[in-house]
Amino acid sequence: MWQVDPTLDLLSKAVDVAAFRQAVHAANVANADVPGYQPLEVRFAPETSESTVAGFSSAQRLEEAAEQIPELAASAQGHVHLDEEMAQMAQNALRYQLLLGAFERTVGLLRYAAREGKEG
Amino acid sequence: MGLFGVLDVSAAGLKVQQARLDVAASNLANARTTGSSGGAYRPLEVVLHSSTHPLASGAAVNGGMTLPRPEVVGIMEKSAEPSLVYDPGHPDANKDGFVRLPGVDTVGSMVDLESISRGYEANLRVFDVTRSLIERLLSIGGRS
Repeated sequence: MWQVDPTLDLLSKAVDVAAFRQAVHAANVANADVPGYQPLEVRFAPETSESTVAGFSSAQRLEEAAEQIPELAASAQGHVHLDEEMAQMAQNALRYQLLLGAFERTVGLLRYAAREGKEG
Repeated sequence: MGLFGVLDVSAAGLKVQQARLDVAASNLANARTTGSSGGAYRPLEVVLHSSTHPLASGAAVNGGMTLPRPEVVGIMEKSAEPSLVYDPGHPDANKDGFVRLPGVDTVGSMVDLESISRGYEANLRVFDVTRSLIERLLSIGGRS
């Protein structure tokens, strides 16, 4: 894929992950009353924790971070805790909106550069 | 599964709570129904089930997997013992003067109602949040 900017790649990946998390929270809340339902959660593979995604320092690490794939895993909890699901969902929704804002701003900067600094 | 599919999951959750509400209402309304074709009313119970659990297939974020959705498998009669009440004047009384009242657990049903209400609210809230995320996503690039 032709790459405009590694930041955009990483941001769109992070937006995907946030959307995925929203889907998992929705499934947990919807199935909360099903007997024997094992709650799900989103996890990153052991060697690639989310902290490495946040702690990038160079363009290359940025690309590495964008390649990490989150996985579904069984939550340690035996049943769904509605309050925790709702709290985490609210937090995740904020992160999703924040990421989309960052995405828009990055696109804005690129647009500014492409117009050689002219406004409008 | 995109965010649009998430709305379906929440809708399935709402549907399940609706079915539980129907059954709880029927049980409470019929708590003293003694006569019908097959004797006293038998309390009902909703049997729930989740569609395919994705952990079996090792799904990834873009794997096109489907998340588990709750489904109503059936509505069964509970095996609750009817309670016998002495009321010789009752048209459904047996020869000893006892009436068989359905063994509806009214207190349990009221507690169920509370849990149904919370479950419905939670699903509705998730639906709302998902919708706002979709709206935000669709507004990208529309403001500059």
